[in-house]
Amino acid sequence: MTPASQHDPDYNYAYLDEATKRMLRRCLLKAIAIPGYQVPFASREMPLARGWGTGGIQITAAIIGPADTLKVIDQGADDTTNAVSIRHFFARVTAVATTEETTKASLIQTRHRIPEEPLRDGQILVYQVPLPEPLRKLIPSESETRKIHAWAEYGPIYVRLYEDIAQYGHVTSTYSHPILVNDRYIASPTPIPKFDNPKMHMSPALQLFGAGREKRLYAIPPYTKVKSLDFEDYPFALQRWDEPCALCGSTSSYLDEVIINDANERMFVCSDTHYCETRRAEGHEGPQLAKAQSVRLTGCAP
Amino acid sequence: MITMLEACGLRKTFTLHNQNGVVLNVLDHVDLDLAAGEMVVLKGPSGAGKSTLLRILYGNYKPVAGAVRLRHDGEMVDIVGARTSRVLDIRRRTLSFVSQFLRVIPRVATLDIVKDQMLTRGIGDAEATERAAAMLTRLNLPEQMWGLAPATFSGGEQQRVNIARSFVAPTPLLLLDEPTASLDPVNRDVVVELIETTRKAGSAMVGIFHDDAVSSRIATRVMQLSPRKAV
Amino acid sequence: MIEEAPLLRAQNVTRLYGGRVGCRDISFSLWPGEVLGVVGESGSGKTTLLRSLAGFEPPDEGAIHFRHGTEEHDIYALDEASRRAMMRTEWGMVHQNPRDGLRLDVSAGGNIGESLMARGDRHYGKMRARITDWLQRVEIDSSRIDDSPQSFSGGMQQRLQIARVLVAEPRLVFMDEPTGGLDVSVQARLLDLLRVLVRDLHLAAIIVTHDLAVARLLTDRLIVMKDGHIIEEGLTDQILDDPHHAYTQLLTSAVLSA
Ligand SMILES: Nc1ncnc2c1ncn2[C@@H]1O[C@H](COP(=O)(O)OP(=O)(O)O)[C@@H](O)[C@H]1O
Ligand SMILES: Nc1ncnc2c1ncn2[C@@H]1O[C@H](COP(=O)(O)OP(=O)(O)O)[C@@H](O)[C@H]1O
Ligand SMILES: [Mg+2]
Ligand SMILES: [Mg+2]
Ligand SMILES: [Zn+2]
Repeated sequence: MTPASQHDPDYNYAYLDEATKRMLRRCLLKAIAIPGYQVPFASREMPLARGWGTGGIQITAAIIGPADTLKVIDQGADDTTNAVSIRHFFARVTAVATTEETTKASLIQTRHRIPEEPLRDGQILVYQVPLPEPLRKLIPSESETRKIHAWAEYGPIYVRLYEDIAQYGHVTSTYSHPILVNDRYIASPTPIPKFDNPKMHMSPALQLFGAGREKRLYAIPPYTKVKSLDFEDYPFALQRWDEPCALCGSTSSYLDEVIINDANERMFVCSDTHYCETRRAEGHEGPQLAKAQSVRLTGCAP
Repeated sequence: MITMLEACGLRKTFTLHNQNGVVLNVLDHVDLDLAAGEMVVLKGPSGAGKSTLLRILYGNYKPVAGAVRLRHDGEMVDIVGARTSRVLDIRRRTLSFVSQFLRVIPRVATLDIVKDQMLTRGIGDAEATERAAAMLTRLNLPEQMWGLAPATFSGGEQQRVNIARSFVAPTPLLLLDEPTASLDPVNRDVVVELIETTRKAGSAMVGIFHDDAVSSRIATRVMQLSPRKAV
Repeated sequence: MIEEAPLLRAQNVTRLYGGRVGCRDISFSLWPGEVLGVVGESGSGKTTLLRSLAGFEPPDEGAIHFRHGTEEHDIYALDEASRRAMMRTEWGMVHQNPRDGLRLDVSAGGNIGESLMARGDRHYGKMRARITDWLQRVEIDSSRIDDSPQSFSGGMQQRLQIARVLVAEPRLVFMDEPTGGLDVSVQARLLDLLRVLVRDLHLAAIIVTHDLAVARLLTDRLIVMKDGHIIEEGLTDQILDDPHHAYTQLLTSAVLSA
């Protein structure tokens, strides 16, 4: 934990001005009231290039308060450049406590993953969303997709699943598998792996989604039904790995494939670094832990 | 005696708007009654309006005045003022028109043409096929032709296809406009026989036959029409 | 067999484009299972009328009533969601250009399947079977099911579009010059197909065409349009064989001499 006493006085609290934060909160309230519905908002410039998660950062900025404890992950990792710089940014402009521990965080900003440890009541998960419109690939026109959402004419999105099965014999998407929120709106669960989709269903945490470049935000309130689209005879299925995490031996987490040397040797390790570390600290050991330690792949980077 | 058709006070003119508005006065004060089992043959010189009268009875031409009532589903109904779907229903089940020309969709096979009306009336495919085959055989159309579209057939062959489709499941009312016009004597006799059998089975008919021998063989009554002048 | 209430009623439908008349004061009724032809020269307002009838463009004046069960609905008085739902389930539109009615970046099967998925079908295997059946009905080799419609000929694309519309089992189909861009022999085949489908499915249809031969083969009743309004209306063979209006006489004689 990195407690800071005072936020940088050169900036307004949480960087954004109060009017912008109020506007964002109003949009968020609307989004929470209509689960899965994309609410347009006036996206602001942030000290990060758009596409680097400015939508999520603006949401975090609008809702963060002194009592919060913030965790930032990028593809599941707390220690990537992007996660580190966003965490530092908020530490500087809000002076809130930060953490890598999922259970200790009140606010988790994420790109591309949902933590492995189950979320609990009172937590808020903020997603950085690059492409909020799940229908965009099929229907280029924004006015048309808005109508489709308004009338729940969701035939076309199933065409994507149909085409996959017709061509490959199964649904090929591994990321961004579309979801039906609260039996009403179809939404894009950001590019999270579909492995994480079931975690969204009836989650005790509030889930907020922000797309900065596309100027849209949407929400899934706690304990909301989230269904991953599928066919009756081709039910939604998760990816599975043939081996456990090489480091912690977990058989139930999402694994990334990493190349460990010039000889192209690979291993599968948890994408949620904090989860993996915690398990190792508890004494769990994966089949290649020793080898990984020798190539310094265990997270205790220099 | 069951009245099948009554036409009264029929008057028909044609106004040729694109030929200086000439008005042709073709029929005036024409009445006709027809009972089941009757064959009324229309006579008169060319241009007297025989075909025009037949077409009015069919609902194909619209009379300027007069009414045509015919028995449909046990009731006398006016075909002139009837709604389209009513007219089509009458034509499907009660009234048919047999001309010397075959009018069909180009690529439909002969057998299917003959079956079509039966299928439309809800007769099953197997029965329709059997009856169509029997009728085509009777009209001396060899089996090799059944799978072909009649577009390439001779005039006489096409005419027999037309007769086959009309007599394979004849309606209670039949209007015949020179159906034997270009048939050879053998086939003409087959058709005459077919008409006779159908009439004796109870159908009522009005017909035009250019051949007097045929007319006198099959008419139960003759109606004479005389040409009118243009005004 | 005859159903006594009209399926669709157009009442004084008028559509203006600025000062220009699209169509004017059009009234008629269509009964279940009836095939109505709309003929007239180019620019006479046929497409305008069809688009209004099919729910795409509200008329400036007048109303269109569609019967659903025993109730009649003024389709433009309905909220948009209900109107769209009716457009999806009660009627369908076959566009003149198949590209307007197909998704060219989706397989042939996906194009037909979309209509099923739009009405809520969620069983891949059952959909596949229906799609295959419909490909056969429109005489497309079912081995082409996963091919792109871009690899299809114009006639095949049009038949695919028809399958995509009819698979949803509408009661009414609108067709705007369905055989328009096709070769004569391809047209004949398509016409026969349409005729059989309309009969077998007991469909009502409104077919816009400028081809009187098409009208004679496919339609029960005709509306003749000129300058946006109806000039003459009646049984198809009556209009074609005994036309009363000067314009219709011109139209029919032009075809005979052509
Ligand atoms: N559709 C029509 N339009 C204009 N004139 C017609 C039409 N049909 C028939 N006529 C005219 O009506 C008259 C009677 O013709 P028609 O009934 O064919 O006589 P018939 O069969 O006795 O030879 C003819 O002068 C013919 O030209
Ligand atoms: N979108 C439009 N804007 C302006 N005028 C139009 C538009 N669509 C059609 N029109 C006009 O309305 C009239 C009827 O056109 P249309 O319905 O396309 O006729 P048709 O289909 O019979 O050829 C024409 O004069 C046409 O120029
Ligand atoms: Mg004659
Ligand atoms: Mg047009
Ligand atoms: Zn692990």
